[in-house]
Amino acid sequence: MYGNAYIDPNDKAAMMTAGEDPQKLAEFEARIARGEKIEPKDWMPKEYRKQLVRMIEQHGHSEIIGALPEGTWITRAPGFKRKLALMAKVQDEVGHAQLLYSAAETLGKSREAMINDLITGKSKYSNVFNYPAYTWADACIIAWLIDAGAIINQVANAKGSYGPYCRALDRICTEESFHLKYGHDNVVTLATGTPKQRELVQAALTRWWPPIMHFFGPSDKISNHTEILMKWKVKMATNDDMRQQFLNMYVPKIWDLGLVIPDPNLKKNDEGKWEYTEPDWEEFKRVINGGGPCNAERLAVRRNAEERGRWVREALNTADAKYIVPLA
Amino acid sequence: MNTEAIKELLYKMADDLLIIGHRNSEWTGLGPILEEDISFSSMAQDKIGQAQALYVLLNDLGEQEPDTVAFTRNANQFHNAQLLELPNGEYDFSLMRHFLYDHADQLRFETLANSSYEPLAKVARKVKGELKYHVFHANTWVVKLGSANEESHAKMQNALNYAWNYALGMFEPSAHEDILVAENVFIGEESLQERWLANITPILMKAGLSIPTSDTWNPVFGGRKGMHTEHLAPLVEEMSEVFRYDPTAEW
Amino acid sequence: MIKSLDPRVNRAAIAEENTIEPLKDLDQWETYEVFHQKRRGDQHMHVGIVHAPNAEMALIFGKEQFGRRGLSVNIWVVKTRDVFTTDYEDSDIFETVPEKQYREAGGYKVMDKINKFKKGL
Repeated sequence: MYGNAYIDPNDKAAMMTAGEDPQKLAEFEARIARGEKIEPKDWMPKEYRKQLVRMIEQHGHSEIIGALPEGTWITRAPGFKRKLALMAKVQDEVGHAQLLYSAAETLGKSREAMINDLITGKSKYSNVFNYPAYTWADACIIAWLIDAGAIINQVANAKGSYGPYCRALDRICTEESFHLKYGHDNVVTLATGTPKQRELVQAALTRWWPPIMHFFGPSDKISNHTEILMKWKVKMATNDDMRQQFLNMYVPKIWDLGLVIPDPNLKKNDEGKWEYTEPDWEEFKRVINGGGPCNAERLAVRRNAEERGRWVREALNTADAKYIVPLA
Repeated sequence: MNTEAIKELLYKMADDLLIIGHRNSEWTGLGPILEEDISFSSMAQDKIGQAQALYVLLNDLGEQEPDTVAFTRNANQFHNAQLLELPNGEYDFSLMRHFLYDHADQLRFETLANSSYEPLAKVARKVKGELKYHVFHANTWVVKLGSANEESHAKMQNALNYAWNYALGMFEPSAHEDILVAENVFIGEESLQERWLANITPILMKAGLSIPTSDTWNPVFGGRKGMHTEHLAPLVEEMSEVFRYDPTAEW
Repeated sequence: MIKSLDPRVNRAAIAEENTIEPLKDLDQWETYEVFHQKRRGDQHMHVGIVHAPNAEMALIFGKEQFGRRGLSVNIWVVKTRDVFTTDYEDSDIFETVPEKQYREAGGYKVMDKINKFKKGL
């Protein structure tokens, strides 16, 4: 046992590796430093497992909850092309949840446990999905800009250290490229369309800008804790870096369409960094903690869906079924 | 070639596909388990895609653009069987309708693959694989749930009982039937229904489900002539809400 | 009742406080490992898992989850519990001493002998 040394409870970095076999830890870190992937049955620090489960699970929840705001418009998409594409897109989100939950399962948490944590509010998901999609244009803005943000995050994480998560993300990123094109095409169509359509899309952008700025989370406090997660390739980029990358890629594209971003301070400075009005982080916290406009609805809808499907799942369960943690 | 007769055939097929595709799409993101959610959504997409292909044929025969036809008509201008417009209810009914309809749909397209009306025959040959998967999916689910436990058996039997007369309504005879049969465009509704019964009976038996006794059969007709339940008008209104927000726009 | 912008949610008539029993173990069934073949002639490759109650449904689900964009021509599924694997901990069994040229093509250099033989003629 290596757990006898006194650990200062304020020293988060030491807490993260407390009790771990130093030799195994060194081998584990060396493997990651060499750019090799960690696979499900490899030895890994408890904290690595815990952080990954939390992160992948939340990502999975975000996909299945993320199917709801866009799903709001699934029965109303205008015309065959949009109707088919929106169905395919929302379907992909469900598929992504399946892939991510599967990756998290390889770390030892069952899908049932993850769903239970979601529907009781114990586990979080991306805050943006607690906002409503008032109009068709909101669904279009989500498809373009929220998916754009998600891609930046996912492309970074796909270079992480955990094999099953990276493999899931590779597949997800391929599908996301369709989402991004689909979303952009929709927004361009509205922005270059009739005055009524332009009005719709501008209003949607105005509504969604604050949640978009919240999307990557508050600036990271650079702590030993974050440093270790970055060394372990669990966290691949800082929140601010990802936000900068997003602004750099998408603000010009939004401006190209003559749309107004509701932030008079938004500009690229001489050093190439984007300056913006600091988003309201109190609001962000309030929504995370259940106070957003749609938190209650999203979870109630998920509970309802689980409950309505329960008899179907129960009926098909056979006595000899046995759950084994998936292999990869 | 009797264009009016062909148009009527195309309209009822396309409207059936659009309406059930729309209904089934309502499950996307809300299905009983992630994997089934994905499968059911794919099939809903297939159906709407097939509907579109048929509206394109109608457009070639001088009808309006597929989007205009699908998104601007009123409920009483739709020719779908009433079975397809009924609300989804729970998964038992949705699956049973999918089973009853998809068997009919597969047979319809299968026979149309040899139709003398070549554009339709071509579409029929193209969608063969999709329909094969739909029927495989439907058969597997109906057999498993029909025979799984008491609760699921009872639910599936009730769904079958409820859907049955509506399902028979899919084979509502058409005034143009004789011409279509004579010109080798289509085998006709009566003969389609016979084949359908022959196909679904053994599957339902395997599922331990009973077809209602024939003395209770009372097909719900009217859908083909634009007569619908109170459920179609709100469906159509909802489906076209955005489209009609600015009818001059390209969406 | 939840009042939603989504007409589907309104139709489901969902109570705001709709607490449900937690999902029990195996509620989501067991898992099958899915292998697909991209093209005829290719090897089947592992692509992921599906949760399914039986093999037929695992095939139905695997086909759509992994093949819906036409990237597969054939699918295999096998229950996760029926797969035997080596342990990564034992990955050193794949390491071997490099002096095993006798089973590599490069371990056979006949030209030297042939050239020497030709010179000697």
